Formats: sequence, C-alpha cells, structure tokens
Amino acid sequence: MDWGGSLIHSGGGGAARTFFLALFPPDLSPEFLRISLAATWPTLAYAVAGMTVAVLIGLPLGILASGTVISVPRLRWPVALASRFSLGGMRAIHELVWAVLFVAAFGLSPLVAVLALGIPYGGILGRIYSELLHDVPPEPLRALRTAGASPVRQLLYGRIPLALPDMVGYTFYRFECAIRSAAIMSFVGIQGLGYQLQLSLNDLLFRQVWTLLLFMLVLVVLVDQWSSLVRRKLAS
Amino acid sequence: MADSRHHAAVAAPAATHVVVKDVAKGYPGVRALAPIAFSVQPGERLALAGPSGSGKTTLLYLLAGLLQPDAGQLCIDGRDLAEMRPGRELARLVGMVHQQYDLVSSLPVLHNVLAGRLGQWSLAGSALSLIWPRERHLAEEALARLGIADKASQRTSRLSGGEQQRVAIARLMLQSPRIILADEPVSSLDPALAEEMMRLLVDLVEGSGKTLIASLHSPYLIKKYCTRVIGLRQGEMQFDLPAADLTEAVLDRLYDLDRRRPENGAIRQE
Ligand SMILES: Nc1ncnc2c1ncn2[C@@H]1O[C@H](COP(=O)(O)OP(=O)(O)OP(=O)(O)O)[C@@H](O)[C@H]1O
Ligand SMILES: [Mg+2]
Repeated sequence: MDWGGSLIHSGGGGAARTFFLALFPPDLSPEFLRISLAATWPTLAYAVAGMTVAVLIGLPLGILASGTVISVPRLRWPVALASRFSLGGMRAIHELVWAVLFVAAFGLSPLVAVLALGIPYGGILGRIYSELLHDVPPEPLRALRTAGASPVRQLLYGRIPLALPDMVGYTFYRFECAIRSAAIMSFVGIQGLGYQLQLSLNDLLFRQVWTLLLFMLVLVVLVDQWSSLVRRKLAS
Repeated sequence: MADSRHHAAVAAPAATHVVVKDVAKGYPGVRALAPIAFSVQPGERLALAGPSGSGKTTLLYLLAGLLQPDAGQLCIDGRDLAEMRPGRELARLVGMVHQQYDLVSSLPVLHNVLAGRLGQWSLAGSALSLIWPRERHLAEEALARLGIADKASQRTSRLSGGEQQRVAIARLMLQSPRIILADEPVSSLDPALAEEMMRLLVDLVEGSGKTLIASLHSPYLIKKYCTRVIGLRQGEMQFDLPAADLTEAVLDRLYDLDRRRPENGAIRQE
C-alpha cells in the first residue's frame, strides 16, 4: 500500500519547520498576555461549573447505584440498576456531542458549555463513586451496624469517610480532564483558550499558539498542586 | 411511642437473659453450627472456646443479629431476636467488639465514639453531628475514664493499637448494651494489652448485671475473667463448665481432637 503521499503532504515539511522555529520565543507581549488571560478565564470557569454540576449529578446517583443505602431489598436493586443505567447513558455520549446537541437546542451560551461538560462527567464520577462506596472494607461497617446504625448512617459514618480520599482524588483528576475538555469546546464556537488557539492557528501566529499552550499547562499544574494540597489535608 | 414501650422493658427486673433454642446455621456446603441450645443468665461472663472453624464467630454473629439462624430461635428477655428492629431496639440490648476494633480510621476519634449513639439518634441528628457533634460530653467522659481524653479530636488511624482498643470500648460505653459480645478480643494483642482489654470488658459488665460473651482461647484469661466456658467443636457443644472447673486436659482435648499433625501425614483432606 502506498501511504507516502497521503500521510505527509508535500508542503508539510516546510510548515512543520516554520512551526517549530516559530515556537521560540513565545509571544509574551503584555497585550497578548492579557488576551490569553481573558481566554483562560472562561475555560477555567466552564471547567469549575461543569465539575460542580458533575458532582451534583454523580454523588446522589453514585450513592443510589452503589446499592448500599436502600434497606428495602425489593427497592434496592431496581433503584441501583436505574441509576447505573442513567449514569451509563450520560457518559456514553461524548461532551462535544452533548455540546453540539445543546447548541442546536439553546444556541451558544455559557450554560451549554457547563451542561455539556457536567453531564458526561457526572456519569463518569457517579460510576466511580458507586464503586468506591461499594468496595470499602466491610469490618468497620459491620461494627457500625452492631452499634445500631442504619444503612444511611453507615454511609455517613463509614462508607463516605472511608472512600472520601479516593473520591476527592479522582474528582480532581477529572477536573484536569475537564479543563482540557472545556478548552476544546471551541469546536462548537464556545469562548476560551481553545477558541483563541484556533484564531492564532488560522493566522499562522505560532508564537501566540505557544503562549496559549503555556497557559493551559500552567492551569493544569495549578490544579494538580491544589489537588495534592487538599489530599494532604484529608490524610492528616 | 416505641420509646415508651422500650423503657417499660428496661424498667422490668433485670431479666436480660439469652436463650439459644436449638439454633443451627450452615453456609453452602458447610454446617457451621449444629443445633445447639443453652441459656445465659444476667451477669454471667461466658467464654466460647474451640478450634478454628468450630463456629464461635457464627454463634456471636447470630446473637448480634448479623446473621439469621437456619433453624431454632434466639431470645433475649423472652423476645425473639428476629422480631426486633435492627437499629434502635437491638442496639440497646446487644453490642459487639470486633477483633480489629473495626473503627473508621479516617474519622476523628470523637465521631467513632459517638457512633455508639447512632442507633438512638434521628437520621438528621446523626448527619448534623458530623459537623456539630452532639452529646459530646458523653464521649469525652468515656474517653476520660479510659485515660485518653486528649485524643478526642485526633484522626483515629494515628492511634496506637492499645488506644484504638479503648476507642472501641468507649463506643461500646456510649451504646451501653446489656449484652456485650466480643469476637477474639485479645487475639492480636500482646499479653499486657490482652489483660487490659479483658479488664475493660469486665469493668463494663461487672456490677451492672450486664452479660459478656467472648470467644477466648487462653485458659488463663478464661479462668481469670469469665464465670463460665462453653467448648465448641465443629459446630457442636463439647462442654459447658464453670470457668473454675476448666482444666488444661479438658481444653487440650477440645483442641487436640482437631489438630492436624504433619508428622503423622494426617493433614485432613478438605
Ligand atoms: N461467610 C461464610 N461462608 C461460608 N462458610 C463460612 C462463612 N463463615 C464461616 N464459614 C464456615 O463456617 C464454619 C464456622 O466458622 P466460624 O467463623 O464460625 O468459626 P470460628 O470458630 O469463629 O473460627 P476461627 O477461630 O477461625 O475464627 C467454618 O467451617 C467456616 O469455614
Ligand atoms: Mg472466628
């Protein structure tokens, strides 16, 4: 099979060289820094709001899906299965597809970005929360049970405290992913780092591209630092 | 309403006594407990002895309401255990210390102790207590009596084994059940801590007409801290003696019968 022509088109080598040469130095002019900062803000805001929605969806559904809190056996599994099914549906659809659907329904608005992120991420968080809550060691729960604690009280005093460090850690990891996802929401026309990146790329302003990537990197590193700070506090 | 009924039961003469009527329990393919029958009077301190797999844990879990019997009946105060509501009601009658104390390691000591009250608190009260601790003085008194008052706000996982053991006892003090079950409470402790644990358990029940049922292997501890001993082997009751009458010979027979001697090549086929 002949791949050569189709993979690297003739002008590609030249464009790549220009790109890499143009990386240095990144555009650090005050004016462009201000633009980058302005583009970072909506990306961060969408990621934060989207994750908030995701936790609000994932926590209650994850608890129900874990099948640990409803003491009536006849209700427990139907509710757990229904929760699992809805969580599965939410994460089966990619955030960009959600975004396309919402843009079609509501037009371009910040709410679109928040929901498009929050729903699939809620599906992912709920799934992980339900597993973490389900798989805590049984011995402390048994002890709570012999102290008279109902399943919901066992959740509050046993399952959640025992699973919390892992739940928080995973949520922060997903927060990093949400920042990346928020950035690429520009594909459907939503403001942010990705949108600015597209503009600079279209104009072949590669030094600006480099600056924007740097902002992205800093954002993710900051979230990572925050995450380890919180987890250290939880562990002490 | 349920409460007034309960208070009436508590006010009745100290008739807490446990009746085990031909109780049997099996797991798929295993007979854990043959039908066994005995009763325990208030204030008795009963040791359960027997080799591994003889059914001690199964019996204690049945008494704690953690398992349901396949046959027979368990009664406390003349009432069938199966008919009691698991939380509020049962927790006032029966409490349990577990082998590894089974504390929630990520919670502060205070909340592990207050968990002894979860059977009595409303759901909202239980939830709010995680933010604004309720009945804090009860927990602090218990911890002070056990000599670890200064640990109340520490994360439980930071405590030493001996301190965690006292936290579990403090939780039991707040729960204040009339029958205390203990599954191998000393099996992972050094001799000094083992004696301390037995002392704490006996202090909880002595003089208050409460009952202790503990699985124990050491004849020394059984004689020193218990009033009666039941020997179990393969789910059957081998003997039921006053603790004072327990001899090494009796105990050796209980354990020897099941010992696997590699030098005889008699490792039992399972
Ligand atoms: N959850 C279970 N599923 C299946 N079989 C079980 C289960 N729990 C206990 N058994 C079996 O029941 C029998 C009695 O077990 P039990 O735990 O009551 O013994 P034990 O006297 O407490 O032993 P040990 O001293 O080792 O703790 C054993 O044969 C054991 O294998
Ligand atoms: Mg056992």
